[in-house]
Amino acid sequence: MTATDSFNSINDLAQALEGVGYFAERRLITAVFLSLRLERPLLLEGEPGVGKTELAKALAKVLGRPLIRLQCYDGMEQREALYEWNHAAQLLHMRAAQHNASAHDVEREVYQERYLVRRPLLQALQTPAPGALLLIDEVDRADEPFEAFLLEYLGEYQVSIPELGTLKAQATPVTILTSNRTRELNDAVKRRCLYQWMDYPDRERELAVVRSQVPGASAHLTEQVAQFVGRLRSQPFVNAFQRAPGIAESVEWAKALVALDTLTLDSEVVQDTVGILFKQREDVAALGPLIDELLLPQAPQI
Amino acid sequence: MLLGDARSGKLSDNITGFGRMLRRAGLQVDASRISLAIESAQCVGLSRKDDFAAALQSVLVSRQQDLEVFQQLFAAYFKDPELTKQLLMQMLPKAPAKAPAVPRKARVQEALAAVSKSKENKTPKEDEVKFDAAMSASQRQSLQHADFQSLSASEFKLVEHLARNTALPLPRIQGRRTRSGARGQRIDWPRTLRMASRHGGEVLNLLRLQRRPQALPLLILVDISGSMERYARLLLAFLHQATRQTPRRVYAFGTGLTDLNAAFKLRDSDLMLQAANQQIADFAGGTRLGYSLAQLRQSHSRDLIGRRTVVLLISDGLDTGDAQELESELIWLKRHSRSLLWLNPLLRFEGYAPLATGASVLHRHAKGMLAIHNLSRLEDLAQAMAKLLKT
Repeated sequence: MTATDSFNSINDLAQALEGVGYFAERRLITAVFLSLRLERPLLLEGEPGVGKTELAKALAKVLGRPLIRLQCYDGMEQREALYEWNHAAQLLHMRAAQHNASAHDVEREVYQERYLVRRPLLQALQTPAPGALLLIDEVDRADEPFEAFLLEYLGEYQVSIPELGTLKAQATPVTILTSNRTRELNDAVKRRCLYQWMDYPDRERELAVVRSQVPGASAHLTEQVAQFVGRLRSQPFVNAFQRAPGIAESVEWAKALVALDTLTLDSEVVQDTVGILFKQREDVAALGPLIDELLLPQAPQI
Repeated sequence: MLLGDARSGKLSDNITGFGRMLRRAGLQVDASRISLAIESAQCVGLSRKDDFAAALQSVLVSRQQDLEVFQQLFAAYFKDPELTKQLLMQMLPKAPAKAPAVPRKARVQEALAAVSKSKENKTPKEDEVKFDAAMSASQRQSLQHADFQSLSASEFKLVEHLARNTALPLPRIQGRRTRSGARGQRIDWPRTLRMASRHGGEVLNLLRLQRRPQALPLLILVDISGSMERYARLLLAFLHQATRQTPRRVYAFGTGLTDLNAAFKLRDSDLMLQAANQQIADFAGGTRLGYSLAQLRQSHSRDLIGRRTVVLLISDGLDTGDAQELESELIWLKRHSRSLLWLNPLLRFEGYAPLATGASVLHRHAKGMLAIHNLSRLEDLAQAMAKLLKT
């Protein structure tokens, strides 16, 4: 807790995050601040590309904690998330000890910590102070049995390994869970966490992010990019697309535009680089006729 | 006492009251959440109202859908708690002065009537109950609201019988989770080594890991246009019973989409139909399948899980909407699901060909077209489905 203690106020935390290039709404920072203070995991939900994972990375930098990431996927089991025994080494040891040790001794010797392969959740518990920043990414992709296991883990921050006994966290990890909402999470897990819904950023914030991530872009271009993407995500255009581009896409797009030496957006450049903003054929097709309207200098009157 | 000191004074009372109010508005707030909220208010302090709101929100809200309710109640409550109380009173359902007699379910009534009837009356042959909207015009067809009557005793028996005896061949695939078993390609190293360590490091036999079978999720889309009413009703009742073990999502569509998932959570089929009645607002108003599917895509696309979902589309294909929209939406649906089955009651007519615009589009994109006009021949349907889904 030494590093987190240095943030006495939400302002300090906001400044520190901005220092590493993460610009967040105050609402979000308050939630992060609370999750540090109350030592509760923080569950972030939102569309893909709004900066959920980035927040964890930025926070790890700010807190000076190592980032340990567990990417969830369908069918993930305990051995991929928590620990596994190093079977090959165990087997070798058994062979070597075959003739001069009793079976009981052999069994005791092969179930030692040095034969343990640590997976992210165990690594996070065993990180020495100040502790780890544990990112459990896309938890909605894992299945319900895993969620039940996670519930237990997040409640106690300890795991029991039958051969070794119970391992407790040396320092409570700061935990961030993210979900793209491909399914609704279990209520029990949500109750354990603080919750924050992350929306697309407003124009100012997007501008700040693009500016800091793509310093090579001219001020004019940055502003155009922010405006174009912002309009894509708002009415009436958003209805035309299946998935609006996230902030990650606008950063990528700005980078691409810089690489192409673009000074100002026009419909031809947009056409050429549309593959960065949209990843679906229908969306690319839908954008075509709208480009000119989107590029109008003034926002249409509502 | 310092003004605005969260530890003393009325603030904790206020937060408690606020939490209880949220609970009444339908958010999941319990005592532990409220105490956490008080603690978080202490952490943030009261110098800025937006911080205070954000702190309470991150603790008390756990779903995106609830955000707006929270914001409105927050604005109202921390301005004038009394006013909100009154507002909430208005939202509460008012208890009628006298409780109405509990309406008997149709199947109870029919059962009672059957007892009192003299025995000379022939009881209808239950196995021959058919649901043929087109052939037996009903006075009820002109009604605008959904009118799924509760099931009559014979229908109820039939549905129950079918659900019990017709194994709906919902395919189970080899999941990605594993369990130890006799067959299987992967070796169960932990258990193998555990055995080996007991025999002085000698691996006597290799134990295996087997993949665990997993049920495929279902997405059921039921057409509730006028011509479909009776099929829809009984099929809903049947699926409600028969797919209990399977993860499922259910929507009805007419001119728009109605979410029936809450209704399907009820255990009793009668209650399910009743709840569905109340929700469906566009009964017999025509079919706009394309538009309904677009709504599904926009608001419920996360019900289609990783291209595993089996979609059952129950419709006669008489679509009044835009054929082009229907086509593009169907392509989307097909791409995001494992298979798309079209259950069509019109198939009972010999020589039926899907010529209507909607029907021809459906025919082109659905993986299979199955007849459902006669529920007592459901075994055939089951077999046909099994054949189609076997891949």
